[in-house]
Amino acid sequence: FHQFPLKHISLLYFFSENDSLELFSSLENDNKQARTFKIIVIGDSNVGKTCLTYRFCGGSFLKNPEATIGVDFRERTVQLDGERIKLQIWDTAGQERFRKSMVEHYYRSVHAVLFVYDMTSLLSFESIPEWISECSRHSVGPLVPQVLVGNKCDLRESCQVPTSAAQSLADSHNIPLFETSAKDPSEKEHIDAIFLTLAYRLKSNKTLRLKQPSESSLREMRDQQEQDATSCRC
Amino acid sequence: MRKFKRKKLNRGAVVNENGSVTTDADCGRKQKLAIIHQALIRDPVDIEILRNSSASKGGLLTDEMRRKVWPKLLNINVYNLPHKPGRDVRENHKDYNQVVLDVRRSMKRFPKGMPAAERAVLQEQLIDIILEVLKRNPQLHYYQGYHDVAVTLLLVVGERMAIAMLDTLSNFHLRDFMDPTMDSTKHILNYLMPILQQVDEELHDFMIRAEVGTIFALSWLITWYGHVLSEFKHTLRLYDFFLASHPLMPIYLAATIVLHRAKEVKQTECDMAMVHHLLSHIPQDLPYEVLISQAQALFSQYPPPLLAKQAALQSRKSLSISTFQAFQLSTLHQRPDVVLQRLTRAQDSTTSRHGLEAALSRDRSQLWQRGNRMVKMAVWGLSATLGAAVFAVAQTAMDWGPDVFLQLF
Repeated sequence: FHQFPLKHISLLYFFSENDSLELFSSLENDNKQARTFKIIVIGDSNVGKTCLTYRFCGGSFLKNPEATIGVDFRERTVQLDGERIKLQIWDTAGQERFRKSMVEHYYRSVHAVLFVYDMTSLLSFESIPEWISECSRHSVGPLVPQVLVGNKCDLRESCQVPTSAAQSLADSHNIPLFETSAKDPSEKEHIDAIFLTLAYRLKSNKTLRLKQPSESSLREMRDQQEQDATSCRC
Repeated sequence: MRKFKRKKLNRGAVVNENGSVTTDADCGRKQKLAIIHQALIRDPVDIEILRNSSASKGGLLTDEMRRKVWPKLLNINVYNLPHKPGRDVRENHKDYNQVVLDVRRSMKRFPKGMPAAERAVLQEQLIDIILEVLKRNPQLHYYQGYHDVAVTLLLVVGERMAIAMLDTLSNFHLRDFMDPTMDSTKHILNYLMPILQQVDEELHDFMIRAEVGTIFALSWLITWYGHVLSEFKHTLRLYDFFLASHPLMPIYLAATIVLHRAKEVKQTECDMAMVHHLLSHIPQDLPYEVLISQAQALFSQYPPPLLAKQAALQSRKSLSISTFQAFQLSTLHQRPDVVLQRLTRAQDSTTSRHGLEAALSRDRSQLWQRGNRMVKMAVWGLSATLGAAVFAVAQTAMDWGPDVFLQLF
């Protein structure tokens, strides 16, 4: 995944031009055969995790969001290249005490991770390395696709995290960076693109199992990944 | 399922057996208010009647009644409330930022028609009362959701009473949630599945197969449902019930809510996400009165010690549970408000007897300033030499307590 060469601007076009996406509202009578992928959204308190997932799953901006207590769940089914993909988004509480003993249950069998920071809060950005290492402690392997998202880019005047700093952090962990805004309606498609980046990656990874991948399948995946890296230039 | 139906029948009997107090669910609103009023003016206050009225149909009915009864349920003297927090309460507190973030985002907890300016004032008060209680109790740790409890108290009883109530609740009912980690909270959540197992094994097994866990009930438990109910009147109704009940009662109520939706749950795909999604969204039209009496019935049929025999619940000790009996005992000997008012006016000094060392020295000087008139006159009447001697004796007596001191004259 870390070889994924597309930066965020091109991604937007990538998805809006090349793919006809049929979007389904959550929890419709889904085809039983639709593959399901589980994405966990983590980051400090008040960075906009709930608003981002709400924007992606519900289409609109959530006004007056409250603190998330424990874990919330949202879902959206998308059609990618004729295949129905169900994305289960787990939106987590930001306060440290929750993630220490509650959220771990939800790291299990996760297929992808979205790290979120608030572009107007340097502190929330500085926590990202800790979130990343915590993720790996919860046996989320390096093969699990991850993206870093800077939210609230509409608040340009109060931005505290320069793109260059975010980019170098993202590069050092080999994960793609996106700067966006859950609030700004013009960013709606961009948010779709972020989640669909993950969906695409998960979909094309045929070896990914629906339930928790076993050690052997992980090994298999790793081998596959290495092959991909050499043969495919995406 | 058959098992549960049987339980429902039992519950009816239990309610009736409870006698005159619980049957007031059937009598009119006015009559219930009169019964509560009578219990409030009895000396000592009839805490049993207050508890039963809080749990029985309709709860305490009005906010005015809540302002009178809630303090009694927590053994709080309304004439001896904490002072409004000063500005310094916000200084150097580790949880300050988190509290501010959560309170500023808690708009939904305030009545819809409330003017923004008024809400803003209340939100600032909310920050203050939370930080004040945390400062008074350094052993307690803030958790997201604590603000949902605090706001409910604030909206009903006002700032100073909310501090007193939150302080007591935090040390007793909510104590387990306020540890440095949430391990104790998890432990309390672990009571949920054994209750379900007793009543509806099929449902229990389904949920185990789905690996849904119990996190869907986390916000119910730690906010006493304040975070998940959109109608404030329902939240108040549940607070009446929980303030009068065992600290584990919110878990028994969680069990009745899940049992109430058993059919829906079993029809869902047996998958963690699906079941979590279904259960974590509480239907807003739940039959609260029915669920409350079911929760009470479950509690008496499967009390916590019985459930604790299950392996998962043995390992850990809950402070909320272990201190509950002592807490209940402490509420038994409360004087009615009229008496409290008279006592408070007459002898401010008695508080110093129970107070801490710091409070003692402060009150000692207050005693000289506004203490018993007779004491002052007696002291003034003495000659300077005698006065000095008496003063020395009195100082010693003060250490023993103001009663001894007063007896000197």
